[in-house]
Amino acid sequence: MPQNEHIELFQKRYGRRLDYYEKKRKKEAREPHKRSAVAKKLIGLKAKLYAKKRHAEKVTMKKTIQQHSERTNKHKVEEEAAPGAIPAYLMDREQTSRAKVLSNTIKQKRKEKAGKWEVPLPKVRPVAEDEMFRVMRSGKRQKKSWKRMITKATFVGPGFTRKPPKYERFIRPSGLRFTKAHITHPELKCTFQLDILGVKKNPNGPMYSSLGVLTKGTVIEVNVSELGLVTPGGKVVWGKYAQVTNNPENDGCVNGVLLV
Amino acid sequence: MAAMQYNFKKITHVPTAKDFIDVVLSRTQRQTPTVVHRGYAITRIRAFYMRKVKFTQTSWNEKLTRILEDFPRVDDIHPFYSDLLNVLYDKDHYKLALGQLNTAKNIIDKIAKDYVKLLKYGDSLYRCKQLKRAALGRMCTIMKKHAASLAYLEQVRQHMSRLPSIDPNTRTILVCGYPNVGKSSFMNKVTRADVEVQPYAFTTKSIYVGHTDYKYLRWQVLDTPGILDRPLEERNTIEMQSITAMAHLRAVVLYIVDASEQCGFTIKQQADLFHSIKPLFSNKPLVIAINKVDQRRLEDLKPEDAALVEGMRAATRGPAALQLGDDEELPCMSTLSEEGVMDVKRVCCDKLLAARVEQKLASRRAGEVLNRLHVAMPKPRDSRSRPAVIPHSVAINRAKKASGELPPMITEKMLQEENGGAGVYSADLRKNYLLDDDDWKYDIVPEIYNGKNVSDFIDPEIEEKLAELEREEEELEAAWEREKAEEEMEAESDMDEDDKELLKRLRSKKATMIAEHRRKKSAGNNAANMPRTADPERRATTTRMKQSLGEMGIDASLAVKRARERSASRVGRKRERSTAAMDDAEDMDAEDGEGEKKRAHSSKSRSVSVARRTARADKSPGSGLRNDDERMRAQKLADKAQRKANKRAKIGEADRQIITKMPKHLFSGKRGIGKTDRR
Repeated sequence: MPQNEHIELFQKRYGRRLDYYEKKRKKEAREPHKRSAVAKKLIGLKAKLYAKKRHAEKVTMKKTIQQHSERTNKHKVEEEAAPGAIPAYLMDREQTSRAKVLSNTIKQKRKEKAGKWEVPLPKVRPVAEDEMFRVMRSGKRQKKSWKRMITKATFVGPGFTRKPPKYERFIRPSGLRFTKAHITHPELKCTFQLDILGVKKNPNGPMYSSLGVLTKGTVIEVNVSELGLVTPGGKVVWGKYAQVTNNPENDGCVNGVLLV
Repeated sequence: MAAMQYNFKKITHVPTAKDFIDVVLSRTQRQTPTVVHRGYAITRIRAFYMRKVKFTQTSWNEKLTRILEDFPRVDDIHPFYSDLLNVLYDKDHYKLALGQLNTAKNIIDKIAKDYVKLLKYGDSLYRCKQLKRAALGRMCTIMKKHAASLAYLEQVRQHMSRLPSIDPNTRTILVCGYPNVGKSSFMNKVTRADVEVQPYAFTTKSIYVGHTDYKYLRWQVLDTPGILDRPLEERNTIEMQSITAMAHLRAVVLYIVDASEQCGFTIKQQADLFHSIKPLFSNKPLVIAINKVDQRRLEDLKPEDAALVEGMRAATRGPAALQLGDDEELPCMSTLSEEGVMDVKRVCCDKLLAARVEQKLASRRAGEVLNRLHVAMPKPRDSRSRPAVIPHSVAINRAKKASGELPPMITEKMLQEENGGAGVYSADLRKNYLLDDDDWKYDIVPEIYNGKNVSDFIDPEIEEKLAELEREEEELEAAWEREKAEEEMEAESDMDEDDKELLKRLRSKKATMIAEHRRKKSAGNNAANMPRTADPERRATTTRMKQSLGEMGIDASLAVKRARERSASRVGRKRERSTAAMDDAEDMDAEDGEGEKKRAHSSKSRSVSVARRTARADKSPGSGLRNDDERMRAQKLADKAQRKANKRAKIGEADRQIITKMPKHLFSGKRGIGKTDRR
């Protein structure tokens, strides 16, 4: 025992007060009542959080109890199913014929082919032009209004050079430009921060694709060289498509799923 | 560095990640505005959310900086503490944890910066809110990732706050040796540290500190855990603490050897350990003490053991160790019978003191101090010896006491012990009363007498008052005696009746004057001093002059005459040529009569308007105005000043009241034809 632990030292020398264990027992016995009183009193977000916490506690508690009682529980001895056995509800069915198997495989193949162009987010909310752009007024008396500012997140390539500001119709604010995306590999269930190479297609229109607007559902090309993916031919893949799954302008980051 | 105090108790609490997040977020919620509406100007909405983001970031920053500043940097503190921290908490882990928090702080700052930038482009409340939410969420996620470091730091903090506060630079005695040789027992005997002592090895698992006094100085005694004789790499944390202390503290090392071998280690083993850790003692004063001599005396040791002990002592004299003072004595002690414990302490302290003085003398700064020092050694001026003087009576008393002739003083404590001890004996307070007569000590003084509280009637100053009264009376008597003697002398004087009368009057007059003066002075203390000219009772008039001069027995008629001649009513008239003509002049005055009395101009021929004469009033004395013109002008000015206030119905200058400017009844409703003042 280190030098300055006075309470422990005292307890070691003189013991606890006489009613310590009694008090402790009573406190523990009262605990559920107190907890329920708190749970009844809480409202709103606090109540939600409390319930969630309590739920988690209970789950772990039950799990541990089960683990402890695993040895003492009585288990039914499960009979090993014989190979080739089928469940009772399939007993009187005829076995699928060979032809059906074939047609099924064809269907499967077609489906797969179609699936190649399937994306995780097939439908997107159309974005109206006035939501996408903000009108910038120009001219000496601020009466010309042919300039537009993009209010969504954009990707601007590293080689981009601005036009002279006088002739620049679309302004992509530098504050809303993104160069990196957090891409999840659906099979690896793993997320990487990858460089964006370009915008392949914005579902709202080709103009947005060319402007590099990143909205939900946009297909982008990302640099996957870090992932070390290899083509069947053995070449290292470095560009791959991914679909944006969030609203970057609302979240402040670009999240997406890799299209494999 | 030298003045730095090592107190790790001030480090503030490090919350767990969850608590930390709760604290910071609820702080943001409490201390930033909470109400915002869609209809607000977009700049206002943006500012609202930006403030939240920035505020959260600053709170994180503050709290993390606090933690980073509170925890000592391992490289900055004294090497002893630095090594101790390394032994106890693993320096790498410690540094890593702090480094992680530092990185987290920087990342949070960066996130805040990014999101504030994004918020500037927010075009709706929804978007701004989402951005704020994302920002706060990311900050919290980062801190959640460092939950382990936070938990570790909290544990370190708790342990550090309980570390004994060892000052690495002060005078220190470092007690070391094998487990169970009696290090802690020595500590308990010498200090009040109250270290646990048990008959098994490794009772002491950490360094203990205690303090003791020697030569009016404060000494720090460190009790270290016992160490075993094995290579440094195999030593455990407990032993490493001792090693750290031995390696870094500038202290006297007290190596305790158990002569009885009851600790389970032979003297050979103890000697081996000593020789293996000897390098740690270089440049430090070293004392080897033999313990448990009540079990086996030093003389009873086997010759080979005695040789080993001697070998250890020889090592202390070696070139590596610091050789100080005469090292001939081998301190032995028994912590059980307390025999020789103080000797050991004395030897240690003396050695360290000598070493420290030597070190100080060797340092550069010693010269500066020595230059300023001067020790006066007075020379005897003659061969006479002048010993300290003990008064004769004191010497006699001492001799008496020594011989037992004088009875020893009986203290209250002795009485108490004789008469039944504490709680039974009640001390007699009355016997020490200081009274004029010792017989009064035990007199019964009633509290209530004749139904009255005696203390109400006791005047503690009665004696002084009585003495005062008596003195006064004596003075009065003396005065009376003096008067009588004077009278007798007067009776013998050669004054006649008239003179006596005059003297009497003189005296009474003087007395009344003095009395009058005193009355006025006491009555009108606060009254303004009236000038004589303004006081009608004291104004200088000829009548008064005549009267007062008459009282003094002087004929005043001439003076009165002269004054009348010069009076204001006679201004402009020439003075009479001579005193002889005075009578004529008087006649002339009478001739002129009253008509001329108020005339201002000298020339008689000038006609004077009647109106002017009547308008002219007497100028009042003390008004400060020279003539009537001035008076009129002043009057006009006063009227003019009054006019404005009168117009506005003011009571006076101080009336600052502003009455209703637009009375409701005159301004509400439609105005009909000609209805401007009643509606």
